[in-house]
Amino acid sequence: MIRSLLAWLDHRTGCNDLIHEALYEKVPGGARWRYVWGSTLVFTFVLQMITGIFLWTAYSPSAQTAWESVYYIQEVMFLGKIVRGMHHFAAQAMIVLLAIHLIQVIIDGAYKAPREINFWLGLVLLKIILGLSLTGYLLPWDQKGYYATQVSTKIMGATPVIGAQLQEVVQGGAQYNHHTLTRFFAMHAGILPGLLIGFLALHLYVFRRHGLTVHQPKKNPDTTFWPDQVLKDGVACLGVLAVVLLFAIFKGAELSPPADAAKAYAAARPEWYFLFLFRFLKFEAVEHLGLAFGAIYVPGALMGILFMMPLTAKLKAGHRFNVAFTWLVTFGIVVLTTMAFYEDANNEDHQAAIAEAERDAHRIKELASLPSMIPVEGAVSLLREDPFTRGPVLFAKYCASCHRYNGHNGRGNVLREKGDNGKPVISTPEATDLANFGSRDWMKAIIVDYRNHFAPLKNAQWYPGADDAEFNLEDSEMAGASEEYAEAFKAPENAGDLNALVEALVAMRSWKGDEGKIDAALAKRGQQILDGEPLADGSEIQSCTDCHDTIGSDFEFTGEGGGYPDLAEYGSAKWLKAFISDPGSDQFYGAKNHMPAYADKMNAKDLDLLVRYMTGDYHETHVEDYPSRITEVFGATPPPVAAEPAAE
Amino acid sequence: MSENENATPEADETPPAVEATAATCCGASTPDESDCSGKPRRNFVVEALAATIGAVVGIVPAVIGGLFFLDPLVRKGDQKDEPIVGGNEPGGVVKDALGFIRLTLGIDALPEDGTPVRYTVRDDIVNVWNKFPNQPIGSVWLRRIQDQVLAFNTVCPHLGCAVDHRPSEGDFYCPCHTSAFDMDGKPLNVIPPRAMDTLEAEVREGRIWLKYQEFRGATSEKVPV
Ligand code: FES
Repeated sequence: MIRSLLAWLDHRTGCNDLIHEALYEKVPGGARWRYVWGSTLVFTFVLQMITGIFLWTAYSPSAQTAWESVYYIQEVMFLGKIVRGMHHFAAQAMIVLLAIHLIQVIIDGAYKAPREINFWLGLVLLKIILGLSLTGYLLPWDQKGYYATQVSTKIMGATPVIGAQLQEVVQGGAQYNHHTLTRFFAMHAGILPGLLIGFLALHLYVFRRHGLTVHQPKKNPDTTFWPDQVLKDGVACLGVLAVVLLFAIFKGAELSPPADAAKAYAAARPEWYFLFLFRFLKFEAVEHLGLAFGAIYVPGALMGILFMMPLTAKLKAGHRFNVAFTWLVTFGIVVLTTMAFYEDANNEDHQAAIAEAERDAHRIKELASLPSMIPVEGAVSLLREDPFTRGPVLFAKYCASCHRYNGHNGRGNVLREKGDNGKPVISTPEATDLANFGSRDWMKAIIVDYRNHFAPLKNAQWYPGADDAEFNLEDSEMAGASEEYAEAFKAPENAGDLNALVEALVAMRSWKGDEGKIDAALAKRGQQILDGEPLADGSEIQSCTDCHDTIGSDFEFTGEGGGYPDLAEYGSAKWLKAFISDPGSDQFYGAKNHMPAYADKMNAKDLDLLVRYMTGDYHETHVEDYPSRITEVFGATPPPVAAEPAAE
Repeated sequence: MSENENATPEADETPPAVEATAATCCGASTPDESDCSGKPRRNFVVEALAATIGAVVGIVPAVIGGLFFLDPLVRKGDQKDEPIVGGNEPGGVVKDALGFIRLTLGIDALPEDGTPVRYTVRDDIVNVWNKFPNQPIGSVWLRRIQDQVLAFNTVCPHLGCAVDHRPSEGDFYCPCHTSAFDMDGKPLNVIPPRAMDTLEAEVREGRIWLKYQEFRGATSEKVPV
């Protein structure tokens, strides 16, 4: 029955002969492992077609939906992480296999006559595959792909004569926009695969016409493609599949934060297989000669030599030149790639940029999975509105010239300046570290360790002020009071009273990190101390309210004050916002103030985000914050205020 | 290898059998028995293995991809369709676990004499990864009956136009094909196939909570869609 059906089919299509021809291709000298590379490439391409088409069913190419759909594929859809991971890692496997295949063709002399045409077809395929990598890299529309592809399109723009026009056509406009994605997607999923299939068919057809380039024809008896070589090819493909699957399962494709044209991505790097070119372009000599030289002429010349190889081989020692050239270029690529990796690993700024990107990448996944989901404006707006993401950036921009945050500038970088011997040294903070501003520890330090807590002020240019009205830690009234408090609270009986006092002050304001965690009994005892009751050992202290007489009432920003900073709702968002806006106001430090007023320097939204960050008012996070650099920056004995995360 | 390739004629594909036979050492019809290596049986194991591995490398990615494509079925009943409990979303709608939406008006806003009030129901609409908060999803007629609320979907059970209220006639009336209903939603003529569709409504602490549903048109049964 089946036999007659097949006979019927064969009679009409001649398929038996085709299959027969495909399977019983002669393999002189027996099946070999060294013949598998071409087959693994075809297999990987098929793998890319399968996973690519399925990804296509869930991908949405536009600036507001590309990242979002990829996020959804990766984090929500069934097996999405695996499918995307396979596509991602198979693409890289393809580059590796391609390099092996090409090197083998050259050292085996398989490019020589009569196989010139097929060699050239292979080079065209190489170009197409590189094009697929390049276009695919942009599609997730994440920071990494966005900024890496910017470099590629800029290189395109450096093409002589038609550069600017070429770039604009490819991008679908002068800047990246929706059409950049639709164009790249059409290239990636339509035009380039179509070309690839066409050229691959030609490549295989011509390959079959000339047969294998036999390495040692007399080693084993001749055999046929089926089944001996098919088995070896199959095992190799299985190996490729296994490696790709393992990477997809255990590593997973990266998805960096959504592309943001307004936020430069300092960690931008091309995919690892383009790193050599990236590193090459960074040489000063190359940079001098211009982008077109390094990124177009030099690679063009190398490709040209590659292209000419079948002709060069006809010359005396031509083949030896070709082989030497191949190894030389390979060696150069390996060296440059290693250099790039090594330099990046030792570049503190680059590592900080990567840390920030990872922090943002984790954070955006948290935000996108909230019940409010992703707004129509796109996921990038979630990050722009998020205090936990924006706060550190704003801190670095506005506060870090004097203050530090856990020793770093808010974004994880330790600030450095040129030292006496010309080498960079850690710059000295000129104001207090603010990582735990407003926390219990912070309050405690102000009460019993004031002078030490504000000691970094001594590093400031203005300190000590010539003018008597200016602030001096040595004769500051509060510093004196703090000494007395420290003495009073030192008695073992009074140990609980300091906590009680702080608890009462914390209970008076809303601070998200504290909400629901107020110890009411402790706060009540603290209130008694504020009201003037003696400490547990019977000693009397001056109440905070004696000077800061608004403690206990609602904070209101009037700009007026009686010579002592207004500490109503101290540490609350309301208080902090007013303070940052105008710290020199009579309501705060008055004439003693040295901090700039930010009312005109920051817009209201940024101020709000910064204050919400510093007071812990944002969606709960499990993202690890930047590691503390306190001991590095403030010395082995850090300020008495132990670092405490802003929100838990 | 050049002799082999000279032997291959420069012909189009139509009669390939001849070339194939010429190009391979094995007989075209019975390769198994007349293997040129002279080891006919060994091939079976190799063939089976080659075929199996070939099948595996093809099937594995196809199956993984296929399951990915079946995502809507696989994740059915997942958290994605569950109503959101509580009202802690900025600009969003407050909805309970049973799907009752809290309306913005209380029972006090409805006339005590039972005159119907038209109300646009809003809900948060989820579109894969986006959420559109507070979108109109339909409208209802609300009538106060003492301290209870009677709610009708305004969609006509006939063919889906919007049913109006005619104060002059004291009835509900659909302008499309003149269906008419009394104030309790019962049909007053033979055009509508069933009564107006009532919706579950509750009064909790003075606020109206409503479970908004739509029903299939033109059937005598009330079947939710
Ligand atoms: S749709 Fe209302 S009467 Fe036909």
